[in-house]
Order: sequence, then C-alpha cells, then structure tokens
Amino acid sequence: MELFVAQALNGLIIGLLYALIAIGLSLIFSVLKIVNFAHGECYMMGAFFSYYFSTLFGINPILSVFLSMAAVFLLGVAIQYLLLRPLYTGAVERKDEYAILITFGLGVFLQNVAMSVFGPWTKKSPDFISGITGIGIFTVDNNRLAVSGAALVIIVALLVIIGMTFVGKALRAVSQDRDASAIVGINPHRMNLLAFGIGVALAGGAGGLIGPIFLISPVMGILPGIKSFVIIVLGGMGSIKGAIIGSLLLGEIESLGSVFFLDPTRGLAYKNAFGVLLLAIVLLLKPTGLFGEKHVRME
Amino acid sequence: MKKTLFVIGVALLVALMGGSSVWCQESIVIGGVAPLSAPGAAESGAEMKVAMEMAAGEIGKILGKPVKLQVEDTRGLPEEGTAAMNRLADAGAVGVVGEFHSAVAKAEIEAANERKVPLIVSEAWADVITGKQYPYVFRIAPANSLFYTKVADWVKSIGAKNVVAIVENTDWGLGVDTVFKENLPGEKNINGQAISYTSIVAERTVSDFTPQLLMYKSMRPRPDLVMDIFTGTGEYLIVKQAAELGLATTRETAMFPVGTSALYPEYWETVGEYGVFSITKTGYHPLLGVTPAIMEFNKKFEDKTGKTPTFAAMEAYDSIYVMAKAIENAQATDGDAVLAALEKIRYDGVLGTIWFSQERKPDYMFHQWPGAKAVLIQYTAKDQKYTDAELLWPAILKP
Repeated sequence: MELFVAQALNGLIIGLLYALIAIGLSLIFSVLKIVNFAHGECYMMGAFFSYYFSTLFGINPILSVFLSMAAVFLLGVAIQYLLLRPLYTGAVERKDEYAILITFGLGVFLQNVAMSVFGPWTKKSPDFISGITGIGIFTVDNNRLAVSGAALVIIVALLVIIGMTFVGKALRAVSQDRDASAIVGINPHRMNLLAFGIGVALAGGAGGLIGPIFLISPVMGILPGIKSFVIIVLGGMGSIKGAIIGSLLLGEIESLGSVFFLDPTRGLAYKNAFGVLLLAIVLLLKPTGLFGEKHVRME
Repeated sequence: MKKTLFVIGVALLVALMGGSSVWCQESIVIGGVAPLSAPGAAESGAEMKVAMEMAAGEIGKILGKPVKLQVEDTRGLPEEGTAAMNRLADAGAVGVVGEFHSAVAKAEIEAANERKVPLIVSEAWADVITGKQYPYVFRIAPANSLFYTKVADWVKSIGAKNVVAIVENTDWGLGVDTVFKENLPGEKNINGQAISYTSIVAERTVSDFTPQLLMYKSMRPRPDLVMDIFTGTGEYLIVKQAAELGLATTRETAMFPVGTSALYPEYWETVGEYGVFSITKTGYHPLLGVTPAIMEFNKKFEDKTGKTPTFAAMEAYDSIYVMAKAIENAQATDGDAVLAALEKIRYDGVLGTIWFSQERKPDYMFHQWPGAKAVLIQYTAKDQKYTDAELLWPAILKP
C-alpha cells in the first residue's frame, strides 16, 4: 500500500509537469487550429534560456524560469507573425499541410540550432530548493515539490486568465468562431499572436522548471512533444480541462503501470506504451477524446 | 564559337576528372566513425574525434602519401552507422576506425564486411561485434564477457547479496545484463550467501526512473548494489534520482554507474555531491602504470582540449596508429592486404602492445585485442577527476 501511495504521488508530480506542456499545445490548437510540432523544441529552448539566465547572469533560478517564459513568448510571437500568419491571410492554399511542414521544420531547425549553439552536452540548471523531504518511504527531491507547486500556480493563473478576463474571453471567442469574434471587435490576428506566444511560453516554462530535475540537452523536447500531443488527443483537442486531466491520467498510468505491470522488470520498457494504450481505449469509447468537441478544421 | 566552347568544356571536364583521380591517388583516406551529436554519447564521440585527428596529424604520411582523416557523425543510431560506413567506402577509405555505441557498431560491421573495408572498433563492447567473426572486423575495446564476468567476481568478493540494475535497451546494456544474469543469481558470495540479481530494462529515452527506484528501495533485504547500466543522460539521471530517494549511495547501498559518461566533468555538473562514493569503470587509471606513451598522449590531449582524456580517446588514438601501421606493413591499400597485415600486427600503443587474437572460441575472441584492461574506481570527493579516484579493483583481462 505504501508503495502504491508513493507511486501515485510521483505520478501526480509528473502529471503536473505534463500538464504545463500540454496546456500550451491545447491552447494553440484551440485558437489557431494547428498542431505545433515544434512544441517540444520550445520546451527545450525554455530550459536552455533558464539555464543560461541563472548560470551566466547569476539570476535567481525561479526568476530565470519566468524570464525564459518571456523570451520564449517573444520567440513564439515572432514565429507566429513571420511563419504562421499567412495561414490566416489567405496567402496559403493548402493550410493543413503548410502548418505541418512549417512547425515540423521549425522543430528540426531549433534542435539543430541548439546543438550548434549550446553544444550536445547534458546540463543541469541550478536547484530551486536543494535537499530532500521524506514522506513515508517516499523521499522526494525538494525541486520536484517546488516545481509541482510552481506548475500548479501557473495552471491556476492560466485558468483564471482564460476564464475570467477580457483577454481570456476574446481567446475563447476566437477559438469558437473567428468571423463572429471579428464582427464584435476582436482582432483574430492579435489573438493568434497571443495564443501562440502564451502556448509556447508555457512549454518554455515547463522546460525551465524541469532543468534541475530531468537535466537538459538539445534533444530533451522530442519525447515530451510527442507525449503532449498524446495528452491533448486523449483529453480532447483544444480542451484545456481535457489537457489537465489527460496529463494527470498519463502521469499516474505511467508511474503505476510501470511498477504494477504483470512483469515489473519489463514495466519500464513499456512505459511509453501505456499512454498509447490508454489513448486507444479512450478513443474507442469516445472518439473526440475525454472533453473534446467535434473536430474543427481551419477555415 | 560553339566549337571553341565545346573544346574548352571537354578540356575542363578531362582536367577535373584527371585532377580528382590524381588527388585520390595522392592521399590515403582513413575513416573515423563516432557519435558527435545526440542522441549518441557526444561527449565520448567528441574526444574520440580529437584523438583521431591528433594521431592522423602526427602520422602525416603513409606509403609516401598524405593521410586524410574523414570522420563521420553516427549520432548513436545504427542507420547512421551504416550510412557513414558506406559514405567512407565510397570515399575510398582504406580502413575505418572508431565507434562508441554497440548497436551502431553492430550495423557498421555488416557494412564493413560487405564493402570489404577493414574496421577497427575502438570503444563498443557487445560480444556480438567480434562474435560474428567477420574477417574485416577487429576490436581494441574489451568484450562485455571479458570484463563483466570479472565484475561479477568482484560483486561476490564484496559480499553483496542483493544486486539490482536498471539496464538500457541496447546491445551493450542487454549484453552486460546477460553476463550478470549468467554469473550472479544463485551464486555464493564470499560469505557463502546466495546472491539475487534483479534487472529492469528501459528505453534510452526514459527520464524518470523514480517508480523503479522506489520499488528497489522497498525491497527487503535492501539492495547492496545498484548497477546503473546506462550511458549519457540516463546514466546521470539514475545516479541523481537514486540519491534523491535515499536509495544509493548510502551506508547500505552502493551505486555503480557502469557507462563511460561517469568519467566526464559533466557527471559532476549533473549529479553534484550525489556522485561522491559512486563506483565506476575505466580502461585507464594512473595506478595501472603510467608509460611515457601515456604521459605524452595525455599532455598533448590536455594542451589541445584542456580536458583529461578517457580511455575512449586513447583507444581511438591507438586505432588510427594501428590502421596506419597495417597499411604501411601491407605496402598496399586494398582491403585484403590490410586485413592480412592487421592479423599479424603488433603495435606498441598508448594502452599497451596491441595485437589481435585468431582464437575462435569463445566466439568474441576472434580479432579481439586480448590485452585490453579495465578497472573499477570509486570517487571519494565531489568534482574529482577519474584519474584521482581510488582504484577499487584492478583486473588484467585475459581470455
């Protein structure tokens, strides 16, 4: 029982980290109606920005995370304006293919840039809070507790912004109907910029937070990028609530599944398969995902 | 006018073709293969490349022709290894040396054999690499079975009862795991107690080992030794997460990161104080004996990079010299002549006198250098260089 509780607690911590990455991807999809295949690389850039802010300039590690979010936000705004804006101005005919090619190519580009600029070496960001805390048999790194707390705060802040502010309402309006929102005075292009910027900034924040825990390298974004896609499909494309619940579910099933698998010595080898299995079951029962609506295409 | 242009064009074409053939004849190409970028172990690949360049630069000429070293990045991916070998064969490489990852080397030996290009595997340990007994494949690094059976003896000698491992799902990792599975479970330790060995296999991409380490922590009796059979980021993460959970290194449980990554400064940058008292392996340690050749190599390498070389660099350096000497001895550049020369070679390198066994039993001994050494060391302070770590267990490897 003690082992089960310890694993569940670990799953919750991992789930919160997944949520931070996946929410951004979900927000981008809900407003822009595209899947950002460079999301994992934005997560990686956030990790490196945060690392260099704290190691080169001696900035407090927590503050570095927020600065890295700001940097990735600006990067996202630039990417959206320069590369994705043609999708919404009528300049591109085959929109779906264009979006896939641009974001996928951007991911490869960012990975190679990171490899050349930062080097291939594995790095560790400075600790947020050093030391460990004991909870029964579960001894947890204080960084994980700090990161879970920070992730929770960021998620709640985002939910408040989306649900209770004018900007949030405008984003939701654009996600529901771009033309109707334009009629009532909302600028959809500006909301695109904002949604993409916030979405990748959340991924960048997750990268910055993960630095002291899972270490950083130019290829660190590949798997989280794929997992966040699994999560948003699981939770329902474009649903932020779905992304949060999907993340927590994935965190739990990976943590518990890899230990309580029939053959525990093989459980870790199938860790990534558990998420896909969960996804397959959910999609069989509910093709739009847990909280998804009927698929909406880019017009 | 058209006729003049045609004549000039043909003349240029002939000059270019003739020029390229002269250029090909005037240099001897030796190929290098190493992981220079992720997901491969780039830190190892980078130092191997530096060592290869140093050796090629020092050799300068073979058979009166300048040596051209062409190093290809295999990224730790088998398909990249095959492509690199084919590119090098197409470029006219007389021989190829290097490689760090067993899975990649396993792909490269197929290409080497098919293209009839002699390949000296510098630092990949899976038995199968020489175990396939391909005529064109030689190896300087130890075979897994040669070294890890001795490590199993060491485990028995320290009185360990409960040994656990997390193993990367690669040819090297699974090979090491197999050696331990064959040599530890049910065997008696020095105190006459039966040893249990439990291993968990994981993909190289896994970053959270906490669930499995928690499972090991809840074992009774508690594990005496945690084997971290990973390389690169995974190797660092297991050391870090085991320490964060209070599993190892503790008074009851030792941590043994088996991969080469524990020898680099990045180890301390990523695991910090959790690396103190961890045990690891190295193919070179000053207490094994510092020859003038080692001192000279270390000095040149440190002058060039500012870093202490590991045995991976020494193996790569020696590999180039061995290949060059074989070409010189063969007085020819065709694969069969170089192969015959490699089978007869005796070369006094940085790591010792290198020669290749012709024994076919056990299978991995064919074209294997039997003199490769590896020892166990233990770090006793944070940020310690591996050359300053305490020598825990010396073993001279013999077939």
